[in-house]
Amino acid sequence: MYDSLGAQTGLPRPPPNPQPNPFGNAFVGAGSGLIRGGLGAYGEKILGSSSEYVQSNISRYFSDPQYYFQVNDHYVRNKLKVVLFPFLHRGHWSRITEPVGGRLSYKPPIYDINAPDLYIPLMAFGTYVVLAGISLGLHGKFSPEALNWLFFKGLVGWFLQVSLLKMTLFSLGSGEAPLLDIVAYAGYTFTGMCIAVLGKITWSYSYYFLMPWTCLCIGVFLVKTMKRVLFVEVRSYDSSRHHYLLLFIALAQFPLFLWLCNISVNWLF
Amino acid sequence: MAKEFNVPPVVFPSGGNPSVGAAHQRHLPTAPFPPPRSANPSIPFMSFDIGSAAASTSFSAPQFAGNTIGIGSSFEDEPPLLEELGINTRQIWSKTVSIINPFRVDPNLHEDADLSGPFLFLLAFGLFQLLAGKLHFGIILGWVTMAALFLYVVFNMLAGRNGNLDLYRCVSLIGYCMLPMVILSAIALFLPQGGVGILVIAGVFVIWSTRVCTRLLVELASCGVEHRGLIAYACFLIYTLFSLLVIF
Repeated sequence: MYDSLGAQTGLPRPPPNPQPNPFGNAFVGAGSGLIRGGLGAYGEKILGSSSEYVQSNISRYFSDPQYYFQVNDHYVRNKLKVVLFPFLHRGHWSRITEPVGGRLSYKPPIYDINAPDLYIPLMAFGTYVVLAGISLGLHGKFSPEALNWLFFKGLVGWFLQVSLLKMTLFSLGSGEAPLLDIVAYAGYTFTGMCIAVLGKITWSYSYYFLMPWTCLCIGVFLVKTMKRVLFVEVRSYDSSRHHYLLLFIALAQFPLFLWLCNISVNWLF
Repeated sequence: MAKEFNVPPVVFPSGGNPSVGAAHQRHLPTAPFPPPRSANPSIPFMSFDIGSAAASTSFSAPQFAGNTIGIGSSFEDEPPLLEELGINTRQIWSKTVSIINPFRVDPNLHEDADLSGPFLFLLAFGLFQLLAGKLHFGIILGWVTMAALFLYVVFNMLAGRNGNLDLYRCVSLIGYCMLPMVILSAIALFLPQGGVGILVIAGVFVIWSTRVCTRLLVELASCGVEHRGLIAYACFLIYTLFSLLVIF
């Protein structure tokens, strides 16, 4: 089934978990040492099989996180340019695959500008929290507890974005993109929010221009990225449904930006 | 009919009278200062001689004799309190002085991590904030923990296979590089709040902290030089967060 699809679409479909999992290896190593020391062969059989079960589940949901941190300065700068000005990106948007040990896997972010990484989303989230703290302080409403609330509000926003992208994938019948990929794509929106909040700090009127602008840019970026993800992951190709869902993703950015960029002490507004 | 108890006769011997014989009765302690050792070898409280004949042959009040012998032998052998706690004040001082110069960082001093220096710095930070009217001890503790976890994850993920930063050393480095923040909070007591001066000084001190922290991290936990900018940005975020506590 996979081979026929690959021949049909012309794009090779990589398996869901190609990278080796260091967490899994450590778990199995520790587990087998304990078992050999304590129990007999029967115990090893039982516990060995369950640790393999856990390992396979972990590697199904969390692909190797080390992959997402293979970045360097050059990648970070160019990726920020792609995220914030997606219409200026001249090249293609699909990720480069390479054969690794007989399977096809994606190249790490150093070699591929379109690969997702987790460094930029983490830093963007941290920058958002710090800038939100500065914005609160300049309006005289700073308190450390308020900043803690903003941190959790940002986390909820990230979770909402992840669930939006994941629901899009599920509704098209396939949820097999690695979770950390989706978390990375969702985290890129915080770069746009940082720009908007920075505009709010420097000159408050610029916020009314910067916020819709970055919202639009992040929307375009997400649409282009998810189009490629859907193309690769989803089995059936239903053009109109794809396009409606992508449009919905782009439109849903606007309330998210309104909610998160409006820095205040309350939860809602 | 009341049952009669056998009450042993209580004998109060006159002080130091060895006429009772080899077995000594119970002795009441006389005045402790000065201890008349030569005069009263039989009083167990006064003699610190380990294994002295009087102490060993006295059966009376064995718990007192046992205690004095126990306290006597272990008290002299105990190491000094700070050494036992692992607080090396000289090392803390030399590490502190090395942080003061932001342009020349000596990573060998920070080779072995300790948490007592950071504890002192965080305590001083909290005290200066308290002088400014803000009770931030719990906030500082929580934020340092979160910041250390964040930096630990980011550093080890970026460094990959050859990253050997452990959480203890991470907290130690973050705590030591908090020194400029402590100085900032001391200076902020004298400057008007919300003014431009405090913002400029805070900016300079945050850059100082970031520079020292990045240099130490890169040289102590082996990380590639190509990741220096990325690590520096993470440290910058952490120290900006702490400077917000001081400024606002």
